[in-house]
Amino acid sequence: MAKTYDYLFKLLLIGDSGVGKTCILFRFSEDAFNTTFISTIGIDFKIRTIELDNKKIKLQIWDTAGQERFRTITTAYYRGAMGIMLVYDITQEKSFENIKNWIRNIEENASADVEKMLLGNKCELTDKRQVSKERGEQLAIEYGIKFMETSAKASINVEEAFLTLASDIKAKTEKRMEANNPPKGGHQLKPMDSRTKDSWLSRCSLL
Amino acid sequence: MLDDLPEQFDLVVIGTGFTESCIAAAGSRIGKSVLHLDSNEYYGDVWSSFSMDALCARLDQEVEPHSALRNARYTWHSMEKESETDAQSWNRDSVLAKSRRFSLDLCPRILYAAGELVQLLIKSNICRYAEFRAVDHVCMRHNGEIVSVPCSRSDVFNTKTLTIVEKRLLMKFLTACNDYGEDKCNEDSLEFRGRTFLEYLQAQRVTEKISSCVMQAIAMCGPSTSFEEGMQRTQRFLGSLGRYGNTPFLFPMYGCGELPQCFCRLCAVYGGIYCLKRAVDDIALDSNSNEFLLSSAGKTLRAKNVVSAPGYTPVSKGIELKPHISRGLFISSSPLGNEELNKGGGGVNLLRLLDNEGGREAFLIQLSHYTGACPEGLYIFHLTTPALSEDPASDLAIFTSQLFDQSDAQIIFSSYFTIAAQSSKSPAAEHIYYTDPPTYELDYDAAIANARDIFGKMFPDADFLPRAPDPEEIVVDGEDPSALNEHTLPEDLRAQLHDMQQATQEMDIQE
Repeated sequence: MAKTYDYLFKLLLIGDSGVGKTCILFRFSEDAFNTTFISTIGIDFKIRTIELDNKKIKLQIWDTAGQERFRTITTAYYRGAMGIMLVYDITQEKSFENIKNWIRNIEENASADVEKMLLGNKCELTDKRQVSKERGEQLAIEYGIKFMETSAKASINVEEAFLTLASDIKAKTEKRMEANNPPKGGHQLKPMDSRTKDSWLSRCSLL
Repeated sequence: MLDDLPEQFDLVVIGTGFTESCIAAAGSRIGKSVLHLDSNEYYGDVWSSFSMDALCARLDQEVEPHSALRNARYTWHSMEKESETDAQSWNRDSVLAKSRRFSLDLCPRILYAAGELVQLLIKSNICRYAEFRAVDHVCMRHNGEIVSVPCSRSDVFNTKTLTIVEKRLLMKFLTACNDYGEDKCNEDSLEFRGRTFLEYLQAQRVTEKISSCVMQAIAMCGPSTSFEEGMQRTQRFLGSLGRYGNTPFLFPMYGCGELPQCFCRLCAVYGGIYCLKRAVDDIALDSNSNEFLLSSAGKTLRAKNVVSAPGYTPVSKGIELKPHISRGLFISSSPLGNEELNKGGGGVNLLRLLDNEGGREAFLIQLSHYTGACPEGLYIFHLTTPALSEDPASDLAIFTSQLFDQSDAQIIFSSYFTIAAQSSKSPAAEHIYYTDPPTYELDYDAAIANARDIFGKMFPDADFLPRAPDPEEIVVDGEDPSALNEHTLPEDLRAQLHDMQQATQEMDIQE
């Protein structure tokens, strides 16, 4: 089967419970918003293909599956991630303070060259704001990463944020490819076609 | 933060090892409310992988009477001669500086490419959480040397280890094994029923070398293995060939400690709640409600079912542990075996070792940086044997001397430890299901059977880890995420949805 994309990027969403990670995911992948997401329908990542500079980029965006709640995100979650959206809620001071803990977590578990971006979500709730935009910007500068305020509900900047992150990863990937440094790869398990027992023999019939 | 934890669960699982994680995922997948706890701050219990720092810290940890990991010790070796030509010279400091690049398994395994675990991962769709590396070589020891055993047809063809006649004999033998069972009346094999596999092999007039290939590496038998068992094992090997890579085996990228986490992820996706660093202090059965009352961090939780790994309090209180598996873990700056076995920076190789009498065995897994389990230029040797004593180093001495005495492997770090098992069932809490400790096996067959068995006892008619839908198959219609677009679903999921809707309707009526 021909590949329908030029690049596949694995992205993660990270941040405290209730900051709106799943809502951001749904706004971007389905252009839908609903505050009552049911975890039991078994969503763990969403896919959306975008186009940048005539290249088709398949974004595979992973949600935390609630494992952020008690700080029990598996190390396996971080494997192979190329970009991470760090999300806080502008109406929850605590979620902003915790960003530095999440950054530490990323440093411990994700690959060193993972691209990061900081998002202050729920920016439509201006009357409940606890974290100013300037503080968000300041923190992002401290970590040398990009920053945006978003609203999954009002559909503000969600699209832009993912496009920015994707284009930064794309630039990095292409630079690395020019340096002729191919990434090492493992096998992904695929359902097996119902082979017969004879398949082992049918490979070659010389002996 | 812990206060928003619900108080009532269908299932509480204590310990996040492989078997417990399987059960937690299976429970959550069929809609049970699951709480999964571990008193450790990491996933995986004795099935976990560690960074270099964390492994040393784990081995240094004080051993309590119920600790499943015991008799641990490790040594850093200084190199006799620092090589000047090498760009990178390895020692304790340079290894520790790359601590995070290591995934050091307490309980390393190799997967058959068509084995139980691979089938389960594919069937349940948990395979999307992991990647695998095909094992490069299956090896055996022959005349004191480590040689590659030809696996595929082209291997047999190209190998320099065997003569033309031997190649024909081996192919003929393997073909016969492959065909065995389709026509059980085959007179040739009929007479070997009830006898040993070795007798059958000898009757085929194969050479000593082929006999070693088959006994040591392909069928992985001992002298007393029955004919039927040997045939079965050979078929298992052949059945896993030609799927991924050159050998019938796979190793999980970043170590086996990833596997329990994959099951935990599925459990969480279906609503399972995770708490690490959280111990259960006491469990009691409430005879009125027939529920378990668990006290943990000053809070009481109610659970319809409890599953616990061995070695966790309170169920393991007063239980004696006996040594179960003896492990050796070595880090070296040079691989084992010749250049041929380690092309392009080192192979991921499997070698089964036997003592001279053939009564005891061990398996060695050599990992290179291709598995993501260590930095480039270093190699991990995992040695595993059934325990005889409380001294893992002496249990393994016969095998380490086979491996290292004649070789120029530059060992930088060596460690030994025991994985213990409960010697009896806990009298403390009846009706609690205990998982078995890791058994001595190459793949995860026994662990999966154990998980399936416990799951079946708790939820007799439920499906064990049915396929989880792919994200593309879940279509959210407009503003209502619960409105699944039924027609885009594949048949098996449509059936699941139908069942769920029916169940909801029935619930409405009862209300």
